Amino acid sequence: MSKGVQVAGGATIVALLLAWYALANLETGASFSYYKSLAEFQAAQQTETGKPVRVHGYVSLGSIERDVAAREVRFTVQNAPPHKASADAGPAMPVIFASLETPDLFKDGAEVVLEGRLRGGSPPAFVADKLLAKCPSKFEGQGPATADGGARG
Amino acid sequence: MAELGAACIRFALLIAIAGFGVAIHAGLSRRPDWTRVAERSVLVVAVSVAIAIATLFTAFATGDFRLSYVAAHSALSMATPYRLAALWGGQAGSLLLWLFILCMYSSACVLANREKNRGLMAWVVAVLLANALFFLVLLTFVTDPFETFPPERAMSDGAGLNPLLQHPVMMIHPLMLYTGLVGFAVPFAFAFAALISGQLGSTWFQTTRRWTLFPWLFLSIGIMLGGRWAYEVLGWGGYWAWDPVENASFMPWLPATAYLHSVMIQEKRDMLKTWNLLLIGLTYTLCLFGTFLTRSGIVQSVHAFAQTPIFTSVFLGYVAFTAIAFLTALLARRRGLRSPQRLESVVSREAGFLLNNWVFIAILMVVFTGTLFPVFSESIGERTVLGPKYFQMLAGPLALVLLLLTGVGPLIAWRRATAASLRRQFRWPAVATLATAAGVVALVRSQLTPYALGAWSLGGFVTATIVHAIRSRVRHGETPLQALFALWRKSQQRYGGYIVHLGAVLVLMGATGSVLNEERLENVKPGAEIRMHNLRFDYLTANALPAQHYGGAVARLALYRDDQPLAVMTPEKRMYWLEQQPASIPSVYSTLQEDVYVVLTAIEKDGSATFKIYRNPLVNWIWIGGAVFVFGTLLVMWPHPTRSPARRA
Repeated sequence: MSKGVQVAGGATIVALLLAWYALANLETGASFSYYKSLAEFQAAQQTETGKPVRVHGYVSLGSIERDVAAREVRFTVQNAPPHKASADAGPAMPVIFASLETPDLFKDGAEVVLEGRLRGGSPPAFVADKLLAKCPSKFEGQGPATADGGARG
Repeated sequence: MAELGAACIRFALLIAIAGFGVAIHAGLSRRPDWTRVAERSVLVVAVSVAIAIATLFTAFATGDFRLSYVAAHSALSMATPYRLAALWGGQAGSLLLWLFILCMYSSACVLANREKNRGLMAWVVAVLLANALFFLVLLTFVTDPFETFPPERAMSDGAGLNPLLQHPVMMIHPLMLYTGLVGFAVPFAFAFAALISGQLGSTWFQTTRRWTLFPWLFLSIGIMLGGRWAYEVLGWGGYWAWDPVENASFMPWLPATAYLHSVMIQEKRDMLKTWNLLLIGLTYTLCLFGTFLTRSGIVQSVHAFAQTPIFTSVFLGYVAFTAIAFLTALLARRRGLRSPQRLESVVSREAGFLLNNWVFIAILMVVFTGTLFPVFSESIGERTVLGPKYFQMLAGPLALVLLLLTGVGPLIAWRRATAASLRRQFRWPAVATLATAAGVVALVRSQLTPYALGAWSLGGFVTATIVHAIRSRVRHGETPLQALFALWRKSQQRYGGYIVHLGAVLVLMGATGSVLNEERLENVKPGAEIRMHNLRFDYLTANALPAQHYGGAVARLALYRDDQPLAVMTPEKRMYWLEQQPASIPSVYSTLQEDVYVVLTAIEKDGSATFKIYRNPLVNWIWIGGAVFVFGTLLVMWPHPTRSPARRA
């Protein structure tokens, strides 16, 4: 057996092991996250109750309530930025964020991605475990800071 | 002023077109006089672009808000250094900076090769000018930094710069990063020139190695400064989040590092020529691609505001063209690149280096796939994002393999290692590894993950191999320092390389400390205390920040360890008025053992404050390791008396 074959064989085994390791771990779903716009999410609300999802929306003006005693932050999200009068905001969705640790950029009108699940009941509320926020006012999509701020919340 | 800058860009564009044509002609006709003409056009373009960027700097310094770019990225309230640094706060300016640095490199390359590599220089100049041309076209037709408002819309003040970027590190981080990314244009141009001209001998890659080491050093510094900035400013307790923007700077570093290793096999054994060329091509393509990623916003759906279709298609087209042109040239020359040498044994230094290369490329594939996964997945269905977990899960074990190779590679023999030599070289490093492992288990116990145990033990292993390699060469009667100096003088590459490895090991061991990280969210009233193991925080008070271009609150907490007072921590919650942007500035108490990192999340309506507290063990070793790494690279690059150009000439 030539050295080339030995080397190639070794590399193949290593690559297969890695691929197996990756697939075995990815199947748990830990690394996957799905983005849905609020409108898409609301359209499929019946089927989505209780399932983990990521939903994208905008914080309604004046809706943020910090409840220190309950250690949660409540607010509503809507489909379009509130400062754009022309856009169709759609029905707002109440959100319960079960922590006081809100990102810097989380404020009225902020663009947010919520990670969590819909809790049934009336009215249904979205329980978010994670909250990522983005400043809506001016963004060029280029500085590392702006990108990081959003991704890390 | 704005007119002067715009005119300079247009003039540079014309000269670059002419120079490119001349360079091609010189290359085809092998006329040395035309080569000189092409080289001079590089210098003219460089001067012209330098005037353009100086004009833009002046506009920022004087607050010339007729320029829409200046108005969008600076304000009168900003301190002058930050106003200057705002030049690379946006798309057009950072592309101009890219071009400027490319011109500086191109000029340096032309000036350094007045007497050398004459047969290649025509094509080197052609490739460098083609790259400059692209950015000149971009700056002229797609994103113009000198665009002015019509007089009736002139502004008296600008919109300001993202306050998170107003930080000392952010003034130099982009410069370092660009000096790194852009610098790979020179080795790329040499490799391309060698392929076009068919002069595939050994001269060009000796030139290239030095021209690769320099940008590689700056890219490494840039990446580390980026982490440092994130740690000090973003207030999430970490320094690296596998964010697309970070990955964009990390991706070219991987094949560049692989190249710096495999080029040694080419030097010593005349093997792997095709592979090395491929690595250079890959590195530069990824530099361009990384610039595109960070400047286009294609990967972050939440951030995709500035996606102009023209910019995306033009830039992607350019990246694809570069890659395809290089690959075509490589394929056309594949016969001339065949090596007479073969790998003799899988237990040899060559094999170790080859494996090292594969691991670097494997990490690259992991990072590349993860970064672009949102784009790939959207094209076949639902947009999906891979989180930091994905990267850690795959890159972590690969890093362990790399660490093992770092210890094994430099000690194992070329060609074929014998069992006896292996025993002699690795006996006591193996003992040191086991001792480290035992020490780690005894110290850390419960929170220890297999990965962390592996990383720290292998760190001990690499350190032991380096100490062993140096100790075995200390001659009788020498102090260790004298011996080190003498060894370094004899082989800068080898002993400087050991220091680089030591730095990398420290960085990795420090980063592994994150498995022991702890965090806590607490809401307390003034006068109350927070306890975290042997640490105690007394929340004293919160005050309003003195009025300036930002306002907000600063909280004061007294930090005690085992009831011994250590420090008063002062995390701030700021609001930048003009930009309407809040920012949490953490307060860090840093020791070699661990960092205590406090963020003021909010001052609540009831007078209480919410704090996020992190304990981050070993973080400081990342920055210390970074400094060692840079020092080692300088040792490798240090001009050697016997190799100085003066002597050769």
